[in-house]
Amino acid sequence: MSKQEAAVPKKKGGLTGLMKRREGQRILVIVLFMFIPLLLLVVFTYVPFIKMVQFSFYDMKYIGERTFVGLKNYIDVFQRDDIFGSLFVSLYYMGGAVVQLALALFFASLMVFKVKGASFFKGAMFFPYLICGIAVGFIFKFFYARGFVLDSLLQLLGMDLEDIPMWLQDQKINNIALAATSVWRYTGQNMILFLGAMMSVDSDLYEAASLDGANKWHQFRYIILPSIKSIVVLNLILSISGSLSAFEPPYVITNGTMGTGTYFVIMNRIAHENQKVGLACAMAIVLLAIIIICTVAQKLFFKYAFDDGTSDESKAAVRKRKRAEKAAKKMAQNGKGGQTA
Amino acid sequence: MKKQTLKRGVSMALASAMVFSLTACGNGGGGDKGSSSSGEAIPTIDQITVGEDYQDIKASIKVLTNRTDIVDTVYAGYADQFMELYPNIKVEYEAVTDYEESLTLRLTTGDWGDLCFIPTGVDKSELSDYFTPLGDYDTLDPVYNFVSEKTYDGTVYGIANGGTANGVVYNKKVWADAGITELPKTPDEFLDDLQIIKDNTDAIPLYTNFSAGWPMGAWDAYIGIAATGNPDFMNHDIVHMKDPFAKRDDMTGPYAVYYTCYESVARKLVEEDPASSDWESSKARINNGEIATMVLGSWAVQQCKDAGDTPEDVGYMPFPITVDGKQYAGAGGNYSFGINNQSSSDNQIAAMVYLKWLIEDSSIYEDEGSIPALKGEDLPDALADFEGVELLSDNPPVKGEETLFNDVNNQSEVGINNDDYPNCYLLECALYGSKTLDEVIDEWNAQWSAAQEALGVDVNM
Amino acid sequence: MKRQIKIGTIFFTLFKYVMLVGAAVISLLPVIVCVFTAFKTTEEYNTTSVLDLPTQWMFENFSIAFKQANMLRGFANTAIILVVVLTCSIFISAMLAYVLNRFKFPGNGVIQNLFMFASLIPGIATQVTVYQIMYSLGFINHLYGYMIVLMGTDIISIYIFLQFFENLPVSLDESAIMDGCTYFGVFFKILFPLLKPAIVTSLVLKGVSVYNEYYMSNLYLQTKELRTISTALYAFTGPYGNQYNYICAGVLITIIPIFILFLIFQKQVYGGMAAGAVKG
Repeated sequence: MSKQEAAVPKKKGGLTGLMKRREGQRILVIVLFMFIPLLLLVVFTYVPFIKMVQFSFYDMKYIGERTFVGLKNYIDVFQRDDIFGSLFVSLYYMGGAVVQLALALFFASLMVFKVKGASFFKGAMFFPYLICGIAVGFIFKFFYARGFVLDSLLQLLGMDLEDIPMWLQDQKINNIALAATSVWRYTGQNMILFLGAMMSVDSDLYEAASLDGANKWHQFRYIILPSIKSIVVLNLILSISGSLSAFEPPYVITNGTMGTGTYFVIMNRIAHENQKVGLACAMAIVLLAIIIICTVAQKLFFKYAFDDGTSDESKAAVRKRKRAEKAAKKMAQNGKGGQTA
Repeated sequence: MKKQTLKRGVSMALASAMVFSLTACGNGGGGDKGSSSSGEAIPTIDQITVGEDYQDIKASIKVLTNRTDIVDTVYAGYADQFMELYPNIKVEYEAVTDYEESLTLRLTTGDWGDLCFIPTGVDKSELSDYFTPLGDYDTLDPVYNFVSEKTYDGTVYGIANGGTANGVVYNKKVWADAGITELPKTPDEFLDDLQIIKDNTDAIPLYTNFSAGWPMGAWDAYIGIAATGNPDFMNHDIVHMKDPFAKRDDMTGPYAVYYTCYESVARKLVEEDPASSDWESSKARINNGEIATMVLGSWAVQQCKDAGDTPEDVGYMPFPITVDGKQYAGAGGNYSFGINNQSSSDNQIAAMVYLKWLIEDSSIYEDEGSIPALKGEDLPDALADFEGVELLSDNPPVKGEETLFNDVNNQSEVGINNDDYPNCYLLECALYGSKTLDEVIDEWNAQWSAAQEALGVDVNM
Repeated sequence: MKRQIKIGTIFFTLFKYVMLVGAAVISLLPVIVCVFTAFKTTEEYNTTSVLDLPTQWMFENFSIAFKQANMLRGFANTAIILVVVLTCSIFISAMLAYVLNRFKFPGNGVIQNLFMFASLIPGIATQVTVYQIMYSLGFINHLYGYMIVLMGTDIISIYIFLQFFENLPVSLDESAIMDGCTYFGVFFKILFPLLKPAIVTSLVLKGVSVYNEYYMSNLYLQTKELRTISTALYAFTGPYGNQYNYICAGVLITIIPIFILFLIFQKQVYGGMAAGAVKG
């Protein structure tokens, strides 16, 4: 299956010579093409990562001596309420991610049918994705501030200011308000992703289906859903690590006060204000471990939940998805014939 | 906008996080690097005669400031005045948002500019890594206020941009309209007065400015002299004390300060939604009477006066704690100016000349209402109401304990004067009723004790 | 039967449009209110409801924001960064993907796994130690340093190209080699032009993320002259607190260029996103 074998020219004579020259060139290409990306990867990801692991076993500030403390930092991570508790804040963002995927899926399904002004609706929903996080932060600070945009709107609809919760202060609602900003920002982008996958289905299928008298639900269930299963699952997986590492909304809008501190916000505080570098590094490692566990667990779950592939289409989709996750680990072997867009 | 003096917000935390690493690995002591560069020897600040010396130096210096609001107006004006005196020196200002965090970060790279406010996060032992020595403590102490704050091993690395006394800003008219004739002297009187204001006027009795973060951290400024009358409290006693935050029967000490904060929130005497409070507009609102009171240093007075049409209504009172029948107010330096020791020597000299001109000859302290940097000059008008109040400064730590307070403070994460979060947490507990004041105080005491133990501090008080 | 379907269809259509209009309103509303506010004078801003239209549409706030934030400089810096980073990123990722996809050699799988694992490490977590490295390399306060670190954290593009190569038949390479093409020739002359859809995808994804990047530009580009538009925006808002008429003007200034680009290249943007989606 190796390509270079196949690539070896079957020309007459001098085959070994050609091979040798090719071999030299091959090595040259490999080395030249990989040198920069690997260097960057090592310098900006792995060296820092290894240092982080090392620091996590020390009691240290940024300056001054450090003392080896073994696992103490890790024990602290699990024992301190403020750290471990902040993981629960991530649940709001996970909830938000699910809502976001559901909404994106819903609107993509609507848009897959003929819609007048489709490009306007698409553009309007996609637009928030283009705005930078800092600007989103300001927009929503303004939006949620007492007596400002959202409150005025609700009053316009006849609500009393007294009955309106304080969006950033009330602990029943403030994390939801913050997670909602992420939903606002990314739903349109997800929708475009899903829509792209749906559109890759042959449009004849829809026509045939509607001629058969299949209603919209059936069209969705039997034509649309199978085509996008892989991308939905992939996005679900990504959303877990995304929720665990949520940072921007609380960081920009509330500074993590009023119980909105996510794990990273707390980590920042510990690293910087308290200069407990070792503890902060241990937190980062613990989070990474959690993300890896979640990713693997989800992969296994979806593998067994969905791998009963009732149709070739869905089997190909599952395989496609697996490949995507593995970052094309085993290329070129599994169904090249899957959907190609 | 001097706000950042006291600020060390959560925001941009990461930024500065990296910061220190540098000193840890790379270049450690920038000192030798910079001073070796060519040019004239660098004098000490007392050797310079402004207006005469160094007229021939050609330099272009950059000054960093936290005052984003007036950098292009007032500060640029100072630079213009100076450049008339020294046409060969070009002075340019750059304002930095999130000053404290950004600066700690920028210091490490060595090419941040020439003159800046030394971030409070820089420990005394690190001063020589970044800043040019300005002279001996013994020489400068008789001349300038607050030099001990930036002195290490007998050498001064920074001179305070004037100073601040710690009291409470209030709108005189609102307080009078509410029917209050005498200023409160204890936390309970203060709280009663706030209640009276709430009942009798439309003003917000006490505005916390919670969402900016640093105004919450500002409450820490009162737990020393204002709450104890003891100038050794902050740099010595608190470090060696068991349970320094515990309640005292005479309602003094740190507990009294936090009690005032907690109760005013719990009794709903503060703004309705602290999470969307706004510092910039609060200055105008205390000026026009929509806000009755803000707990901030005297530096805020001038800014509040400047923010509206009724500056005469803005008053300043001592913090309502009475120790043995007497009220105290702490006075401390604002941010101190420091000179980049990695700049060229010409730039360092030019920066020193400008610094000396600014703190001695410019109108900066009248404009900002600060206690002047030079000793023996008039106190700001804001302190006129402090009759019968004793103004004290914290004594420097004893030798060998220069960094001890910092260490215990950081280790315990109580974060006095350098972390707003615990104070924000206090407000949240009061707001939601999730914890009583005593529970919070017990936590802090426990954290403090644990830190003392971890660092092997003598607990003998 | 037929009638039922018809009623069902009408109902569905109605439902569809109600939903879509609702979604569009929610998506645009926060920004539209910003637009109203940005045109108000401070006086008007203080006295009217945020939902009221400005009585006079005035551009003064914009010019204040534009000047004070030195947005021109910010745009110039961001433009340079975008062009350089996107160009380099695309070549680097495409070349890497080519090697990993087309050649079998010891360590290929390991390298792919290294990249995959790297994508799981949340970026913010390692910045503490990355800063040390940037410092010791002398990369801080130089545009090139920032651009290099942006390229170094570019794992998305690599994925996209890997996926895309997988769907390019190997026979293309083979026949080119048969014709005497070198491997370099195969990549640059034959395959690279075919990568256009993948290039568009990574341009869109990477372009948006670079344009919006705040965190690292704040860390590594510290001086006033090096501000990008997001750091310029942040610096500008400093003295304005809750004076949202100015802040909104600043926010809109940062949005407008990318909005215009989006309007022009709408089709390509959607196409790129969709291609990225199917490729995973």
